[in-house]
Amino acid sequence: MIDNLLFLAAPITVSIILAGILSYLGNHILTRGIIFVDIAVAQIAALGTMIGLLLGFAEESANVKMISYIFTIAVISIFALTKFKKQVISQEAIIGIIYCLALGTAMLLAERIPGGSNFISKTITGNLLWVTWKSVLSCLIMFILIGIIHVIFRRHFIKISDSKNGLPYSLWKTRAYELLFYITFSMVIVKAVPIGGVFFVFTLLIAPAAAATLFTDSWKKRLIWSWIIGITGAIAGMYLSFTMNISNAPAIVTLLGLIVFLFAFIKLATKRIVSHNLSKEKGS
Amino acid sequence: MTGLEFMFAPLVASLLLIFITVYFGIHVIEREIIFIDIALAQIAALGSAVSLVIKNISGEAAGHDHDSRTLLAYLFCVGAAFLFTILKNKKIRIPLEAVIGIAYAVATTSAVIILDKGAGSDVHIHDMLTGSILWVTWPQIIRLSVVVVLTGGFHYIFRERFRKVTLSYHGVDTGLKNPKLWDFIFYMTFGIVIVEAVNIGGILTIFAFLIIPSSISALFAKRWTTRILIGFLVGGISTLLGLYLSWNMDIPCSPAIILFLGAGLLVAVGLRAINKLFSHQRQSR
Repeated sequence: MIDNLLFLAAPITVSIILAGILSYLGNHILTRGIIFVDIAVAQIAALGTMIGLLLGFAEESANVKMISYIFTIAVISIFALTKFKKQVISQEAIIGIIYCLALGTAMLLAERIPGGSNFISKTITGNLLWVTWKSVLSCLIMFILIGIIHVIFRRHFIKISDSKNGLPYSLWKTRAYELLFYITFSMVIVKAVPIGGVFFVFTLLIAPAAAATLFTDSWKKRLIWSWIIGITGAIAGMYLSFTMNISNAPAIVTLLGLIVFLFAFIKLATKRIVSHNLSKEKGS
Repeated sequence: MTGLEFMFAPLVASLLLIFITVYFGIHVIEREIIFIDIALAQIAALGSAVSLVIKNISGEAAGHDHDSRTLLAYLFCVGAAFLFTILKNKKIRIPLEAVIGIAYAVATTSAVIILDKGAGSDVHIHDMLTGSILWVTWPQIIRLSVVVVLTGGFHYIFRERFRKVTLSYHGVDTGLKNPKLWDFIFYMTFGIVIVEAVNIGGILTIFAFLIIPSSISALFAKRWTTRILIGFLVGGISTLLGLYLSWNMDIPCSPAIILFLGAGLLVAVGLRAINKLFSHQRQSR
């Protein structure tokens, strides 16, 4: 048992760290309604890697990583700049289009790289179980730095996320904050996806924030609850995967996802009972 | 001229697909449920996976029993339609797109768990990403056209109701009776179209057909008929060019079509910007 715990210590630690930063970012993503942004970012990063390989650099080399980062930041900047006063095409639709074009280009390029199609599906799985302490540490440092930026600018980020129609600041000031937000966001995603896989990251972003949003509106409460749900879900999923002998990232994803549906139905049921009782009282 | 004959079936299939997806695309864009086609395709794939497992447990010979697989795929789609209809509720404050996203993630990973494949990438729908529109057969086209005519006709007859349901997503009170029922019917028919369309065109092409033409048309028009016409025109031209390019240069056709659609979007954005500039000048004079 002790051996197993030691073996699982690094994956559990990294899950907790990821749950910490992703549950926070998820509240922004959910409030903005740009749900699939992380899948798009992961796809853009994969395309960046392929471009690096096509330029003749070796796989896993620092150059390829650099190119992937720069490419991702460049594309996500376009996305930040498509924020308008009157949004004709919604941001989620722009994400869809960017995702679609990135994937289409990746499929064209895949023909020119040996084993190229692997890079398209590579983002799906991740390697949660084999994460090293070294990468746990580098995750922690990077996320703390990004976390500090977000703490400093928290008011502005929340203000922009909350404004559904129109902009809280002048157009270019809003876009500057957007740029900062999306660059830090995509750095987290590019770092997290190779570790947990794209669905793991997606679920840790959306599911805890969604479960929290079901019950409260305030940012503070949502944040605290999504941390609680995210971290408990990650640990419980890890435990389940260990006892039931299924792979860990899918276990966490399924658990957290089902929790959201369960909570949603509970919420609907309780409301119905309450309103039912109310109408009964009125009737009598 | 054998080349042209060879391209005839893909072209007919693409036009049929564009016709129905451009219409549904406007609903999708207006409702902001952009990634629903990927989610529904994955949920249908989960249905197929479950049918495989059931077959294994009941010990039947592993034949190509296509019917039960399609049946379960459809059943899962109906389940998803039910879920989306119920959870589109003011009391549930999370956007429907988030519900769709979670359903997508859960469908993918539970397929991984069910089929017990640790790596997982091989159960993901990435296999059917591109589709094989170049190899479409005439029986497939006939089947597709039946689906298109039936759902298209149904939606044409009840177009006002479906439009009202979509409008109600913006919080507009439309005074429609039984909105939940029509919402459910919408997702069910949409699910059927997606399953059939993805079988032929692949997920990515259908995804592009759904969102890009209707995004382009949103730049220029508000009326649905105009939007459908613009979308159909842009989609049709991009598909023609894409198929031609893929035939001539021997590249996969689905990325080619998507890139032309993307180029069309860029041109449209440019046109709109020029248009705005001119009307601005006229106003300032």
